[in-house]
Amino acid sequence: MKRIFVDYKKCLACKACETACAVRHHPSGSLVGALGDRRTEIDVRVLGIEHESFPLACRHCDPADCLSACPSGALARDPETGAVVVNPDLCKACAMCASVCTFDAISFKETHRARHGREVAHKCDLCTERLKQGERPACVAACPSGALVFGELEQNRTQRAARSLRTYLLGEEGLPPLLEAYRELRRKEFAARRGEKG
Amino acid sequence: MRVVTVGTGMAAAEFVERLRLEGFDGEIAMVGDEDFPPYSPCVIPFYLAGEPLETVFWKGRDFYERYRVTPLLGDPVTEVDRERRLVRTRDGRSERYDRLFLAPGARNRFPEPQWTTVAGVFGFKTLSDMMAIGEYVSREKCSEAVVYGGGFIGVDAALALMKLGLSVTIVHRNTRLLSQMTDEEGGAFATRKLVEKTGMVVRLRTRVEGITAGAGRLTGVNLTDGTRLETTLLIVAVGVDPNSELLDGLESGIPCDDGMLADPDIFTAGDVARTRHAVDGAPGIYANAPNAVAQAYVAARQLVRGEGSYAGSLNSTVLRKHIDFPVISMGRFDGEALTWQRGDVWRRVYLRDGRINGYIIIGDTRMSGYLHQLYVSRQLAEREIRDLLSSPRHDGYYRRALGLAPA
Repeated sequence: MKRIFVDYKKCLACKACETACAVRHHPSGSLVGALGDRRTEIDVRVLGIEHESFPLACRHCDPADCLSACPSGALARDPETGAVVVNPDLCKACAMCASVCTFDAISFKETHRARHGREVAHKCDLCTERLKQGERPACVAACPSGALVFGELEQNRTQRAARSLRTYLLGEEGLPPLLEAYRELRRKEFAARRGEKG
Repeated sequence: MRVVTVGTGMAAAEFVERLRLEGFDGEIAMVGDEDFPPYSPCVIPFYLAGEPLETVFWKGRDFYERYRVTPLLGDPVTEVDRERRLVRTRDGRSERYDRLFLAPGARNRFPEPQWTTVAGVFGFKTLSDMMAIGEYVSREKCSEAVVYGGGFIGVDAALALMKLGLSVTIVHRNTRLLSQMTDEEGGAFATRKLVEKTGMVVRLRTRVEGITAGAGRLTGVNLTDGTRLETTLLIVAVGVDPNSELLDGLESGIPCDDGMLADPDIFTAGDVARTRHAVDGAPGIYANAPNAVAQAYVAARQLVRGEGSYAGSLNSTVLRKHIDFPVISMGRFDGEALTWQRGDVWRRVYLRDGRINGYIIIGDTRMSGYLHQLYVSRQLAEREIRDLLSSPRHDGYYRRALGLAPA
């Protein structure tokens, strides 16, 4: 099964992922339609934490606590992609799922898919429809810096373990020089904001 | 092998589904007192509030056909005969079992049994209740209601009726609404905000002493503080009793082992099962949907493979119905209390030995999942918890993951 991986050190906080997600999940399929629409659904959120940024979205855990907590049959696992998906027709916005999600990846809003004139849960659906057409998730396709990667779960785990060992032994971050320079700038900027000397 | 379930609720439906998914090919019969496919008790108030009936059948209307079940409905089980391995029903039917899944749920408690004979007095527990209430409200053109009991079910009922357009008064004997799932201060905060946000009237520290009727229909209620409220609709939500007396007359739940067995041939689960708390081990009935589902899974696995054990129950409660104002609670409210409040959001964590002993989160779901994980995993949390609670961006989990100090 493929998943979205986050290499947060490469994240530029440009929010291209958020924009692409909004467009992808908007009935108009266009940026013009999604802009300024209160019902626009955005299922990835770039979290700014000091000088770091982290594109936060559902991890599609397996087993998933949210799935076992849902009392209305609204959450299900897509058999083909393994994604945890919401059926807004069944969702009662009761927050049982959100109350057990460590990643804070489930939000409530009256989206365009809401049928009963009230809020429903919304979260990343791993762009299951795109995947079935052989495409990558919209956020991954839009990410300009390689912070979001779509790949096989097991293979990525192994690669990451090997890479972090190399980082540990050789002190290599493995980031392109331009990204290193950008991160350094951001570190200094945030240190200055805290009143420290860069 | 013939499997019989007593009850067609959440636990029984999950059990049956799991049995079939685990490859069980034997005969299954489900015996229930109502005449419906399995429905979700969490969803039924939304049906009363005007949403489609279809959505209450969270596993589909075709549940019995899909899982090859013989439904025996509208006739409650009144006796379990362990010797002969059969259950007897009110209408005199008897059903033989090889394995019994005993999950008959709980029933609404009425302070006076004769209240139920008066039109306009209802419990708020079953789909039949919801249908009867909905029918009564439209027939009698009710514009107001009194809800007696301000716990989870009472508040749930009040919010559904308000959604339906009625004005609602909750009568509650305690000092605050949701008194079981909150502490004094948290409950007072939630009560104040619920009143502000919905306009419901809340009368605390008082009880319904008696009801009055005319021509067989409710006309009003008298409270212990001397007040009289004129109303044609009374919802009674002062508590529930487990239907556990089916097994040896047990009144306070059915004890079971970690394989959910109450007897070598009888599994139990849901609102009748006495289990231990996953964190502190205290025995009790922990009636909520995730526990019922987990118990049903264990029972099904035990039956098919003879393996698996229940990890214990969590006493979590999440109330978020019709309005964007969640109240979430977990664990025990004792230890060192750390509190944070801003606007509509109120958070409190109880610490004991550096670990989370309980928490109450009101007004916002964010951060509740991370607290849940810290609580269940028993991680030391005292160093970061204060900053975590007050973190305006709710990014505690990600700070820890990225190795950054709390804000």
